[in-house]
Amino acid sequence: MAIDAVAATASREYRLSELMAICAAREIRDGEIAFIGTGLPMLGGMLAKHTHAPNCVMVFESGVVDARPTRTPLSIGDACLVPGSVMLGGLTEVFGVLLQPGHVDVGFLGAAQIDRFGNLNTTVIGDYGTPKVRLPGSGGGNDIGSLAKRIVVMLKQDARKFVERVDYVTTPGYLDGPGGRERVGLPRGGPSAVITDLGVYRFDDATKEMFLESCHPGVTPDDVRRSVSWDLRTAPNVRTTKPPPKRELRVLRTKCDPQGIFLGG
Amino acid sequence: MAEREVHDKRMSVAEAVRKFIPDGCRLRSCGIGLRKPMAFVYEIMRQRKRDLTFLQSGMTEDADLLIGAGCVGRVEGSYLGLEAFGLAHCYRRSIEKGVPRRIEIEEYSNFGMTMRFMATAMGLPFMPIRSQLGSDLLRVESFLHPKAAVLEDPFGSGAKVALLPACPVDVALLHAQRCDEDGNAQLWGQLGDDVWGSMAGKRIVVSVEEVVPTKVVRRDPNRTVVPGFRVDAIVPAPFGAHPYQVQGYYDADAAFRKDYAERSATLEGWTAWADEWVYGPEDHAAYLAKVGEARLGGLRAKRILSGRVNYGY
Repeated sequence: MAIDAVAATASREYRLSELMAICAAREIRDGEIAFIGTGLPMLGGMLAKHTHAPNCVMVFESGVVDARPTRTPLSIGDACLVPGSVMLGGLTEVFGVLLQPGHVDVGFLGAAQIDRFGNLNTTVIGDYGTPKVRLPGSGGGNDIGSLAKRIVVMLKQDARKFVERVDYVTTPGYLDGPGGRERVGLPRGGPSAVITDLGVYRFDDATKEMFLESCHPGVTPDDVRRSVSWDLRTAPNVRTTKPPPKRELRVLRTKCDPQGIFLGG
Repeated sequence: MAEREVHDKRMSVAEAVRKFIPDGCRLRSCGIGLRKPMAFVYEIMRQRKRDLTFLQSGMTEDADLLIGAGCVGRVEGSYLGLEAFGLAHCYRRSIEKGVPRRIEIEEYSNFGMTMRFMATAMGLPFMPIRSQLGSDLLRVESFLHPKAAVLEDPFGSGAKVALLPACPVDVALLHAQRCDEDGNAQLWGQLGDDVWGSMAGKRIVVSVEEVVPTKVVRRDPNRTVVPGFRVDAIVPAPFGAHPYQVQGYYDADAAFRKDYAERSATLEGWTAWADEWVYGPEDHAAYLAKVGEARLGGLRAKRILSGRVNYGY
């Protein structure tokens, strides 16, 4: 499999999960309000706060504002997010009052499928009525993808996940292309980056189509194309993703996930 | 002042389920990732309730267990999975294979479900939201017709909103940290959709870690989310959310949840798990005894006390 090949050729100094968390951190600018899920995005948020973005505010959908967890939270509702936060409410406060009027700069989402316009599926694989795999559904994903100023999508990549058209649009990306979000009445937003274990993708301003911006060290654009089921566009000069600096790796391992819960053993 | 008639609302988990949860009712759970009403969930399984419509935004083991036990016919919600522990296997077996029965699900987003509860709690027929637009959450219907409508602002801004119908709730379950003898229920920590979801209930059944003297509540009324006169039953249930967390009382039992996630992957494994942990113990006390004092003791929360405020004037 492509992922194993990458693991074998990439430097042994870091894991791909660590590189993904570091790429996530790079998407957060200082002072931004970030809507964070569990797993790698949370580690990215914690890392950003410890490094280049000390003034970013992490918001969690169960109601926590500006969490400063001292252990690795296992879920968005983890009680360890509460002590030291600045405000506690519920879904009405974080979705209704922070997200809906446009106060959230960046949201992080995962997906089981993504398509060329960045639409996300976390609901079913196959036909809705008779699915091959029943997945958990939207949760807050649709709300975050509809209403944050921009979103960053994180997933492990293969051709079954990078599909021409998702089986179910749980969360709209750019829908059918330019003007898609505006036509249905979404007030703002859309995906700005996709981070996988193979590379980092952006979206073309004019066509709203996803393109490959950088390959992780040891990965070629051809490796990436084999893991995408449409004719993927690439940047004119596909870069190599900047490998993790030692300091960021150290912070990630010692402060964000010392037990390796999400980074892996 | 006239003497108020005293109703003792205190009862056991079993009594509350018998009295307030009939077959076929619209039942709301509580908690997003914590404070789940697990003592009720286990007892609903023991009493083999049928054809429930289960209502909640973020559903985990609460819904998965009731689906596995055949108690649920329909679900209205937004997420059903085991969070960090993976997919919900009873849910998958039901939808993918019709085992033990095929349930129907009507799906909204988390915010959408919260606003549906808010509509019911406020006595409104619907609520507008600005998410869900353009997604299959609006397009794909199951048993609600229509499940949503799109409206352009009648006041001329040009903005579009999705209108979502209220979500009537026959019985709302709430696991709270504490309440007094009247049922004035206090929560702290993350509130999820519990304020609106609980208040949407025609009946509200509260389980608590502690029943406290009413002066404790009256000294800190900002923490009350449901006033006692709306509460129908008070069920003392220490560790009533195990294996979930309750802020200030105990931490999550992650090993227990992982064990459930692994064993429920097969029907045989799930049946053995349910026999061991639900149908075997006759009640909540027997369940806790089976978990064991040593294990429960290890989960007890450390003290991180809040400061006090002056309510004086």
